[in-house]
Amino acid sequence: MKKKKSISYAKWGYLFILPFFLAYFVFTFVPQALTIYNSFFENYREGLTQVGPNFVGLRNYIQLFTPDANGSIDVLKYAGNTMILWVLGAVPQIVIALLLAIFFTSYRLRIRGQQFFKTVIYMPNLIMASAFSMLFFTLFSNVGPINQIIQAMGWSDVPIDFFAKTVTVRALISLMNFLMWFGNTTILLMAGIMGIDQSLFEAANLDGANAIQTFFKVTLPLLMPILVYTVITALIGGLQMFDVPQVLTGGAGTPNRTSTTLVMFLNNYLGSSKNYGMAGAISVIIFIITGVLSMFVYRSLTKKD
Amino acid sequence: MKKCVSAFLALVMVFALVACGGGSTPAAETPAQPSTTSGSSAAPAAPAAADNGEGKVFNIYAWNEEFKGFFEKYYTVPEGVTVNWIIVPSKDGAYQNALDEALINQADAAADDKVDMFLAEADYILKYTNSEATQDVAPLGVTDFSNAYPYTVQAASDANGVVKGVSFQCCPAALIYRRSIAKDVLGTDDPVEVQALLNSWDKYEAVAAQAKAKGYYMTASEAADYRVFTNNATASWVDADNKLQFSPEVEMWMKQAESFAQNGYTVLSDIWADDCTNQMFKDGKTMCFFGPAWYFNFSMGNAQDAEKGCFGDWAICEGPAPYFWGGTWLLAATGSDNSSMLADVMNTFINNEDVCTKLVKDEAQFSNNQKVNNAAASDDAYASEFLGGQNPNTIFVELAKNIKFENQTIYDQLCNEKLQENYREYLKGSVDKDTALQNFYKAIHEAYPSIILPQ
Repeated sequence: MKKKKSISYAKWGYLFILPFFLAYFVFTFVPQALTIYNSFFENYREGLTQVGPNFVGLRNYIQLFTPDANGSIDVLKYAGNTMILWVLGAVPQIVIALLLAIFFTSYRLRIRGQQFFKTVIYMPNLIMASAFSMLFFTLFSNVGPINQIIQAMGWSDVPIDFFAKTVTVRALISLMNFLMWFGNTTILLMAGIMGIDQSLFEAANLDGANAIQTFFKVTLPLLMPILVYTVITALIGGLQMFDVPQVLTGGAGTPNRTSTTLVMFLNNYLGSSKNYGMAGAISVIIFIITGVLSMFVYRSLTKKD
Repeated sequence: MKKCVSAFLALVMVFALVACGGGSTPAAETPAQPSTTSGSSAAPAAPAAADNGEGKVFNIYAWNEEFKGFFEKYYTVPEGVTVNWIIVPSKDGAYQNALDEALINQADAAADDKVDMFLAEADYILKYTNSEATQDVAPLGVTDFSNAYPYTVQAASDANGVVKGVSFQCCPAALIYRRSIAKDVLGTDDPVEVQALLNSWDKYEAVAAQAKAKGYYMTASEAADYRVFTNNATASWVDADNKLQFSPEVEMWMKQAESFAQNGYTVLSDIWADDCTNQMFKDGKTMCFFGPAWYFNFSMGNAQDAEKGCFGDWAICEGPAPYFWGGTWLLAATGSDNSSMLADVMNTFINNEDVCTKLVKDEAQFSNNQKVNNAAASDDAYASEFLGGQNPNTIFVELAKNIKFENQTIYDQLCNEKLQENYREYLKGSVDKDTALQNFYKAIHEAYPSIILPQ
């Protein structure tokens, strides 16, 4: 009798989270399982003829990890490109965003017009990445305004071919990613800092801690959960980097494919050939890399706890 | 609050389900349609009227606006029919991808969504003519090819000689030069005299050196004359064993491009990029461009610019070798529900002398009607102001006799694009030659996994 009287609210809980899990299952879990399944098949289109799907076991993976004539393994090269492009963009992004977040939240500085600045630094994120890349492509092309300025100033007689050098192409991509994302990161970190109890800052102040000490001893440790979240989401976004380099280099990842990212590589297989087998194998590799790196970042930033 | 969130999530779910369901609606309508389709194909192919049981929407796939302009000007659409243009740019095979997707789903598409006619270029026309996606145009009523140039009919035919479409243009291509620069470099701008100085590759390269000495570029892209070599190729990109190969002509181009890059005879640029097309302005330093009628009519906008251009400062001559470039074929899609209009469009653009004459006279096209072109060749009324009073048809009529349409494969567009793209990196000095070729092979492998690559 007693048992019947107690009411379980658990079922309501399950009911409420059901939509999320259904959506997750249909739109994330099933496609992911299908991707892994597809990666074991030969499945592409040649002209208007469909080849496969034929089961080929690990052949797609073996092909991906077979060194080319110069002895380099493409998929590792593109993974390296992606990491370099991400680090070049993300490190300054997080440092600047952290700095800005501290300025904006400091009760000593009390910066006026905060709303205005917050809006302005967030603006670049509202532009479509492809439009932004087109803009940069036009600005920095051989006949574009930047080269016209350089030649008019007499700094160089011939136009500087920004898209023929690894350094400049990578710098441009990183710069664009930085410009697009630092505002977003700033807002996230500001929210994190404002969540910290103000009395702690006051206490540190009373104890005679200077700004730098306050930052390293109070702000940073308490901000860690948000910072880890920021770094991991930035990392996942960075590993999926595609639109900016794709549009900027016309899909070619020039020069010598040094700005080809993993997802651009995947996209090459999906272009004319609709090669779901190889594209699936690359996706699985990206998935594994993302998992491992996220774990690594999580561990290294939270190990003190 | 939580209720709001769960209500929102539930709503999202419902939307997702509705969105998924949406796709099946047009498919469900399809079974009702075939009766209309078969009814129309049985009808005689007379000029279409809207009440003959044909579809109300005529879908045309194209990669640019060129043909759309002529179509809207010179073709009277039957009453009650809406023409729907689906235009996808061709770079990186994007047009072919979009078209393939539509053709593969043709059978399941609703009658008004079916592709009726699509445009194709020489680079990949084989892929469509040799497939079930295109239909024989003879039963539709397109049978008179007596005035069309034989190569255009051959290109639109499948392996058994069944004709699947027509071209509205014939594309003999010439060397287009700046008169003022030719005068400075060669001392003359007369087409006959210039031709005598440029009628072989050796002479052409010697003139390039002269131009360089005077501070000019010979070409605005190392690939400007690419088609002169490759559209005369004696071997196809892919051999009978499905192995990638370089024809001797492609190798000749690679050698020439190498020497032009080393000597600074050319701008290193894609032919469609601003680096190249900006050279067509008045302050450009480039003497030669290469192309057929559609090139100086449709792609040399910068030269025709009212302020910065140099209208009238151009002329054409045969150049080092006769060749053709491009051309737009109109192909009949299998499953079209507008058969008689389809036939009518095709007949109009090859056999209607009135329309063909207007194409030549008003649009600076070289039509696919020999009778019209031959008349234009000897008529001074067809002199082009853009070409400083020269009648291009005189030269094109001669060049058209030598056009060959041979050694084409379905892979040509990307082979040509990717070779130029990767080889340019070598010419610019970003990579060595071997790496450039390896990158070319990689790009081919990604696009066509079945092609066997040289190692």
